[in-house]
Amino acid sequence: MLNIDRLQVSVDGKPILNGTDLKVQAGEVHAIMGPNGSGKSTLAHVLAGRDGYTVEGGAVTLEGEDLLALAAEERAHRGVFLAMQYPVELPGVNNMVFMKTALNALRAARGEPALDAVGFMQRVREKLALVEMDERFLKRNVNAGFSGGEKKRNEILQMAVLEPKLAILDETDSGLDIDALRVVADGVNTLRSPERAMIVVTHYQRLLDYIQPDFVHVLAGGRIVRSGDRTLALELEEKGYGWLEQEDAA
Amino acid sequence: MSASLALPLERYRDSLAQVQPQPAGASQSWLAQHRHEAAQNLQRLGFPQRRQEAWRYTSVDRLLAHEFAQSAGETLPDIDLQAFLLPSLDVHRAVFVNGRFAPALSSLEGLSPGVTVGSLKQQIAHNPIVPAGWLGKAAGAPAHVFSAMNTAAMEDGLFIHVVQGQEPARPIEVLHLSSAPAAAVMAQSRNLVLLEAGARATLIERYASPDGSLYFNNSMSEFFLQDDADLEHYRLQDESLAAYHLHSLFIHQHERSHYRNTGFALGAAWSRAELTIDFLGTSAVAELDGLYVTGEQQLSDTHLDIRHAVPGCVSHTRYKGLLHGRGRAVFDGRIEVKPRAVKSDAHLHNANLLLSRNAEVDTKPQLEIHADDVRCSHGATVGQLDPAQLFYLRSRGIDAGAARRLLCLGFAGEILERCPVAPLREHVEAAVAARLAQATDSGAGA
Repeated sequence: MLNIDRLQVSVDGKPILNGTDLKVQAGEVHAIMGPNGSGKSTLAHVLAGRDGYTVEGGAVTLEGEDLLALAAEERAHRGVFLAMQYPVELPGVNNMVFMKTALNALRAARGEPALDAVGFMQRVREKLALVEMDERFLKRNVNAGFSGGEKKRNEILQMAVLEPKLAILDETDSGLDIDALRVVADGVNTLRSPERAMIVVTHYQRLLDYIQPDFVHVLAGGRIVRSGDRTLALELEEKGYGWLEQEDAA
Repeated sequence: MSASLALPLERYRDSLAQVQPQPAGASQSWLAQHRHEAAQNLQRLGFPQRRQEAWRYTSVDRLLAHEFAQSAGETLPDIDLQAFLLPSLDVHRAVFVNGRFAPALSSLEGLSPGVTVGSLKQQIAHNPIVPAGWLGKAAGAPAHVFSAMNTAAMEDGLFIHVVQGQEPARPIEVLHLSSAPAAAVMAQSRNLVLLEAGARATLIERYASPDGSLYFNNSMSEFFLQDDADLEHYRLQDESLAAYHLHSLFIHQHERSHYRNTGFALGAAWSRAELTIDFLGTSAVAELDGLYVTGEQQLSDTHLDIRHAVPGCVSHTRYKGLLHGRGRAVFDGRIEVKPRAVKSDAHLHNANLLLSRNAEVDTKPQLEIHADDVRCSHGATVGQLDPAQLFYLRSRGIDAGAARRLLCLGFAGEILERCPVAPLREHVEAAVAARLAQATDSGAGA
């Protein structure tokens, strides 16, 4: 589904990704781990189409289509979704209006008719339970005054409503206590499906106790330096990222 | 005074002289006196110049470039009222065309006892006690030549009088329509609202005109809220992009009176709204909210003068501006707390969102405190759309133009939600969205 080929990206002239390779198939969950500054969040943002990143080389395709040539909203139309590390607050923008606008934008791009308020509510109501949210969340402004846990749950709610093909979760565990982490992870696990791929970006192994990945990759110095299965995450937890750097230097 | 300014002043004076209103009754010497004194002031005041602080950011050159003439005709131009009505708004309606009362277009039947809504001219003709007693009291001496011109030509406009403890059954909607198919008309409506002790009312004022109409509305209003009176005032100015609009509103608030004003200025080519609040009785409250949206070559100018002269009054002022294209706005808001006005609670804030690099706002919140033991604050912000917010919306599949509109309406939402009259709020929201549609689709940097 997703093919990242020798991707090189710089920010303000400073190289961040230096030839990153990654292949993700439908139904797979890939974890990307790495020390701070290794380029994990850059990779997540570049895939979602955020401005401010310069692609210096390499290619990214989604189902054969050049992803890097598309605007952020077009990537969303193709099924890319980024659950953000720091979801922004949108004062004055109602959460339900926001999600309905987003869903209908995706439906319009796919040639499907727009959902009216009733149709949208039917759809969103069943998703709210996934993240243990009630309808009051829909009446509030997007993330405005939300706690850290509420913001992350709101991200997973959007993911549930928009039903992406490729979901990228950027440090979804950051700032969550153990109860909120469990709610978020349960929501994500419910959304695992044979048609959907997920990339879980995280600094800590902890999240992977709840969202068990099929593959674990370690990003360091802008490159995938090690790939393996779940046990790689456990090994990292035990030995720390320094272990890999020492091995690479040797 | 320079020759270039003297010329139009002569022209305006001649124009006024030709239509010097006939006193409605032989005994209206008070009215003649008002007009005469104002006419005397014309030459002394001259047209405003930018070296004057109150006009520093607002030039009248564009206004003076047109040869506006006072509308003299008693016959009103044909106007399609239906085109200007809001759906499902259940109101008592007074309609004015070019500043003159249009009884055939108004629907004022069924007013409660003690409630008068209609034409100032008719009121002066038939029962001048209230106009004679109150006109000019809040406005005082003219601050600029346009006020003097309005008073010199004072003839017709809105008259509302609610006697002690009464309340109209429905909100009062006042439609100020302008239509000038042939000539560049100057309309000078003069409006008077008196709420006696304990009276209440909701007033919805709308200024509108057919697209492309060229005219100059030079209007003045005086509102008097006696003890415990309560007025909710919603004002929408959404006029032809060729029009000129100057409106000076003076409010006198007595003890414990409550005045709420939510203003929406979607503009004309050139518009200026002046609002002066004088607290004359203790524990009065004024809540002032405003939204201005300006683009193209529009100028929108807001001047607020809130004078706390007695103890314990409250004024909360929030104005927001959305500027796109080559839009310009001026916000000059001043709170003055006089030595006697202890326990004043006065806050004023102005926030602006610039959607293009050619838009410009000059904002000047001012606070003058001459009393101890007060709670006061003021501030202003000027910003742009946050790229992180835009990316968030776009990453959910919402295109850049729609994302900008959502954020702009979110920014305006704080003011929009201050208007509980749903048909008006929805109308304004749609009008703002329409104004922004072109601006936001053409890109943030345009």
